[in-house]
Amino acid sequence: MQAFRELDRVLRGEARFGDLGVVIPLGPLLRVNVLLAATYGVCMGVYGLLWPDGPEWRQMVAGAVKVPALFLLTLLVTFPSLYVFNTLLGPRLQLGVFLRLGVTALSVLTAVLSAFGPITAFFSVTTANYAFVVLLNVAVFALAGVFGLGCLRNLLVELARPRAADEDFVVLEPAKSGRKFGVIYAWMFVFALVGGQMSWLLRPFIGSPDLPFAWLRPRDGSFFEGVLHAAKLLLGAG
Amino acid sequence: MRALDAILRPTAGGARLGPAVVAVVLGGGGYGAVMGSFGGLAGDRGLQIVFSAVKVPLLLLLTTGLALPSFFVLNTVLGLRRDWPTALRAVLGAQGAVAIVLAALAPYTAVWYASSGNYHRATTVNGGMFLIAAVAAQWVLRQYYAPLVAADRRHRAVMRGWLILYAFVAIQLGWVLRPFIGDPALPPTFFRAGAWGNAYVVVADIVWKAFGGTVTWSR
Repeated sequence: MQAFRELDRVLRGEARFGDLGVVIPLGPLLRVNVLLAATYGVCMGVYGLLWPDGPEWRQMVAGAVKVPALFLLTLLVTFPSLYVFNTLLGPRLQLGVFLRLGVTALSVLTAVLSAFGPITAFFSVTTANYAFVVLLNVAVFALAGVFGLGCLRNLLVELARPRAADEDFVVLEPAKSGRKFGVIYAWMFVFALVGGQMSWLLRPFIGSPDLPFAWLRPRDGSFFEGVLHAAKLLLGAG
Repeated sequence: MRALDAILRPTAGGARLGPAVVAVVLGGGGYGAVMGSFGGLAGDRGLQIVFSAVKVPLLLLLTTGLALPSFFVLNTVLGLRRDWPTALRAVLGAQGAVAIVLAALAPYTAVWYASSGNYHRATTVNGGMFLIAAVAAQWVLRQYYAPLVAADRRHRAVMRGWLILYAFVAIQLGWVLRPFIGDPALPPTFFRAGAWGNAYVVVADIVWKAFGGTVTWSR
């Protein structure tokens, strides 16, 4: 329950780095992130229940494992370069601050994602058209991503705020901070790119009814080709 | 009755959960019963009346239930959580308003049914009634939201988000819960056999065919 209270505080925008006494606890937030991402994974896998050859329960299990894995692996892949460039080019944030930034933004992302879970599950149960379900999920992920990035931006603005010496939590030069956050803004873009491709590597999340169930599909194509293909299919040009 | 009346008067206190649900069940149920009476009362046609009386409130309640979690999180993430009780009252009030307006329109539908036996025209008339109810409810929702928007303009964006989300889910749920009117040529059923599908895909299919396309997206 404490983890959910922490999540609630993050969602309400009350967890600020600079405020005295407010510390963002990594452990509980990470746990609740995994739980929320897994919940959405189950909602995605619901599509497998209506396969022509009978319900495929394993798709829900796969979703529950893969969606948290998607976020954690993307973070793992992009984090080292982010940290190195942050140290080289600025804003020279400490590792702990960085981790908290990432996990806080991820909390917002997974919360929005899981809140859309019931809608995704409902459409997955009632829709046979695979391309529609794929694009609906891409749209929900994109929307959640926008909110996650918005949260990250707010945290950065908060970090850049000039503050009195006694409440200084992060060593930062306020005058230069706006420009120096460029590294983090670039990382947001890289995170979205890598996240998209990671979701392709970990596919299937939904499970095409034309293919047998598989935990992972063979190496082939890319996320962007996949989305384009789904869009073409839905528009009748596939 | 006074509580139901209050739902339509957002400026004088507004809706509470209990009366809003009662309004949805009674008003939606009442309209549903009339809607399902197209095939008459003879034989097992009465069943369609019962089914539709259950399905209209179910449509409103399930749509609200499916869209509420995202509405709650969006309110929270945008920093509008302190106004959540008012926002919730507003969307519940709008649900009550849809049902009450539908109930008030039910006599017109009944008169139409008595005048014409054409099933397709009956579908159109019912579509029109739902459209009127939806527009009226949106107006009620705006009234509920007026003080919130005055205090913080972001509420307007969230309200629009709610309307989009609600319409997106309601259209699909309405499609899945067919039949509401009940084709007299078919036996009464709760769910139409093979009716599950995607409303948006079907509409895209119809539009595509209208322009001479040959591809169908059954899958």
